[in-house]
Amino acid sequence: MSFDVVGFDFLEGLTHFLKVFGGVALTALIVSFILALIQYGGRGPGLFFKTLWQALVDFAHTSPRRVWAITELTWKESARKKALFVFVVFAILIMFAGWFLRDSVDRADLQLKIYVKFVLTAISWLTLPVILLLSCWGLPADIKNRSLHTVVTKPIRRHEVVLGRFFGFTLVGTVILLVMGSVGYLWTVGQMPEAAKSELVGRVPVYGDMTYSNRIGDRPDFDDPNNPQNPASAATNVGDVWEFRSYIEGGTKSRTFYDFDNIDVAAAKRAGQFRIEYNFEAFRTHKGDIEKRLLCRITIVNNESGLRVPLETFEVKEFSNRSADKTIILGGTDEEGNPIETVTYREENTNEVKSVNIFDELLKGGDITVEVQCLDPGQFLGMARPDLFIRMPDRPFYITFFKAIFGIWLEMVLIIVLGVTASCFVKGPVATLLTFGMLVIGSGFSELMQSLAIGTSEGGGPFESAYRMFMHLNPSVSIDDGPLKTIMTIVDQAALGFLWTVQYLFPQFEYYNMVPFVANGFDVPWKASLLPSILVTLAFVIPCLILGYFSMQLREMEAK
Amino acid sequence: MNQPENVIEIRNLSKVYRDFWGRKKVQALKSLSLDVKKGEIFGLLGPNGSGKTTTMKLLLGLLFPTTGDVSMFGEPASNVEKNEKIGYLPEESYLYRFLNADETLDFYGRLFNISSDERKKRRDALIERVGLQHARKRQLKEYSKGMTRRIGLAQALINDPDLVLLDEPTSGLDPIGTRDMKDMILDLRDQGKTVVMCSHLLADVQDVCDRIAILYGGELKVMGRVDELLKSKEQEQILTSTLSDEALNEVKAVLVKHNAEFISADRPTATLEDLFLKTVQISQAQPGKRFVSADDKAESPLDNEEKPAT
Repeated sequence: MSFDVVGFDFLEGLTHFLKVFGGVALTALIVSFILALIQYGGRGPGLFFKTLWQALVDFAHTSPRRVWAITELTWKESARKKALFVFVVFAILIMFAGWFLRDSVDRADLQLKIYVKFVLTAISWLTLPVILLLSCWGLPADIKNRSLHTVVTKPIRRHEVVLGRFFGFTLVGTVILLVMGSVGYLWTVGQMPEAAKSELVGRVPVYGDMTYSNRIGDRPDFDDPNNPQNPASAATNVGDVWEFRSYIEGGTKSRTFYDFDNIDVAAAKRAGQFRIEYNFEAFRTHKGDIEKRLLCRITIVNNESGLRVPLETFEVKEFSNRSADKTIILGGTDEEGNPIETVTYREENTNEVKSVNIFDELLKGGDITVEVQCLDPGQFLGMARPDLFIRMPDRPFYITFFKAIFGIWLEMVLIIVLGVTASCFVKGPVATLLTFGMLVIGSGFSELMQSLAIGTSEGGGPFESAYRMFMHLNPSVSIDDGPLKTIMTIVDQAALGFLWTVQYLFPQFEYYNMVPFVANGFDVPWKASLLPSILVTLAFVIPCLILGYFSMQLREMEAK
Repeated sequence: MNQPENVIEIRNLSKVYRDFWGRKKVQALKSLSLDVKKGEIFGLLGPNGSGKTTTMKLLLGLLFPTTGDVSMFGEPASNVEKNEKIGYLPEESYLYRFLNADETLDFYGRLFNISSDERKKRRDALIERVGLQHARKRQLKEYSKGMTRRIGLAQALINDPDLVLLDEPTSGLDPIGTRDMKDMILDLRDQGKTVVMCSHLLADVQDVCDRIAILYGGELKVMGRVDELLKSKEQEQILTSTLSDEALNEVKAVLVKHNAEFISADRPTATLEDLFLKTVQISQAQPGKRFVSADDKAESPLDNEEKPAT
């Protein structure tokens, strides 16, 4: 597994939500104001504020009955215009995919990965384009055919049309996703070989915060603002091009510390075992005994009581494909099926053999640290934050599978709201391009925009970059101080400030990709994936509907 | 006698169409002022581009006025609640073509505050009234233009409106459909409803309208009661049963004696619409009956009707 799952807490999520919500809402109001000014000149501002007040009145008088009438109309329209034909394509894919995917690899977990990736990708690639087209073309077609004109001469508020369309397309997409998801789930379970059915679980990993100590045992304070080191990569760099892992030196006091807070000890106790899974990488500076693997030790420390329990040493089977080779289990059952509740260890200072209760003493309070050390002098052991986790009791596969479907649903809702809003302003083809553009930028360029906006990318802003290109200066060459540099810096700051605002207008679609979790046999985490997805979707839905309201309210249906 | 209240009041209404950059394209309406009274049938007439459809759209809030005010039932045109009392038949019956007649009426009914049972009752009654029972389950895309106009009218009446706005109500209808439409418009007036219609078919307007306004170039040119506007102030018309030549000469002598100029005496002709409707009526009652004789001598289904002479 190479993805690093970073959860964000509620406060951070709320801040993000407010940033996105505020950014989009503010932009929605500014765009509406400018449009009113362009269209109505001097009367525009007055009309804008009147409409703003009217909006509050209108929203307060929203009629669920009328919204549902438009929702149902949208459903009938989609069904009768053969949008549900997408099922046929999916059925054909499912019917024949098994021929090509079955037995394509000899490892059960990889077979699961292939099936899950295929099914979820097929669902998302079939559903999202259909929904994008439907939502971008619905309202413009209504306006073009003038069927909307007959509707708005009834006592319906225009935002109710927008809401009805939004809910209608959401209903269509939901039905498509539910049917495809159910068929896809049954197909995946059915395709898995009987011997590999045990792989159909949602592992629940709990990741800790990772820090290191150096070879003399000093542990840098990463909370110190003067310490520029990143705790995730502060250990030794062995020159690997892929800087995912950082290395600790064997036979020294160098260690990696994984700190865990609030481990659910009761759940582990109910399951009768405490599992740690790891995936370390060895780096040898000398050949040593080539027959022998690197020797490691894990020590579990209870941070409340200070109890330290060094576990048995183990060899790093880095090339093994079996997850059992990379798992440490405390507890479980003995050969006669009796539960094991204690662990025996040799105390570090006294070398005395002791026994401790796993759940009531070692894990008590749930605040623990897992220390990893390499025991072979001169050799290095590489690890990254996601390389060690505590595995809590597994969730059923269907839960994690449908969480991924829920992720696709959230993405679909976001596309619908963007499409419907765009279609309130422009015609179908332009709305499609606009929404598709946001999808592409939000999926692949948000990181780039963020690095540009916060100034971490080399070469300065747009004006400095243009100057460098013109003068053939590479990004690392500094530009002499002077009026030119001052002007460029000021203009660039303004441009980057604008970019900082704009970056929040593009939804970060990568949050919605939950396929890697399911494909790798993990449960989709709430904090790292579901919560941000829900917040991003919510942050866009409300301002977009407000924007759509203003567009519909201020536009003349019959303007020539 | 109390004057009937005004249902529509238009004051100094102007509309300028502008392009994207705000430049003036055309002035469709120039300072129009008129009132429509409760319970009358009001006709808006004018050649193409005279502003009658623009007026209709301004009334409905589909366009916003450049200057001036429009109010209906005392409410500004932008007020959504006023639409509860209005029915609108657009020029081309812009409806959802994938719905059938039942679904169409149910959909529009749900946009009003009408209960499910009442909707069903009105839907059935209206479908029967516009004569679409046989096609109520067919999607509108399969309808002929006449059928589309009929379902269009039905949706305009689903809320039992006090004011009905009809844009070219008889366009695309065959003579029977036209007659039915005109009868329905007259029925609406008899029920105390107000009707505003615009049409190019002047005979239809003359048949049903109480008052008319003629627009030209966006300006109001003529407005008043149809009978008053059309009544000749220079001539009299007397209708009698058929007269002999002798009797006719005596009448002429009397007229000369009273210093009146005799202009003409002829048998009145019925309208082509009357002839067509009578033919259809007789054909339905007597399927084998024909009015074409072997010697090609003209026979008329109206021949056995009493026709007064002038």
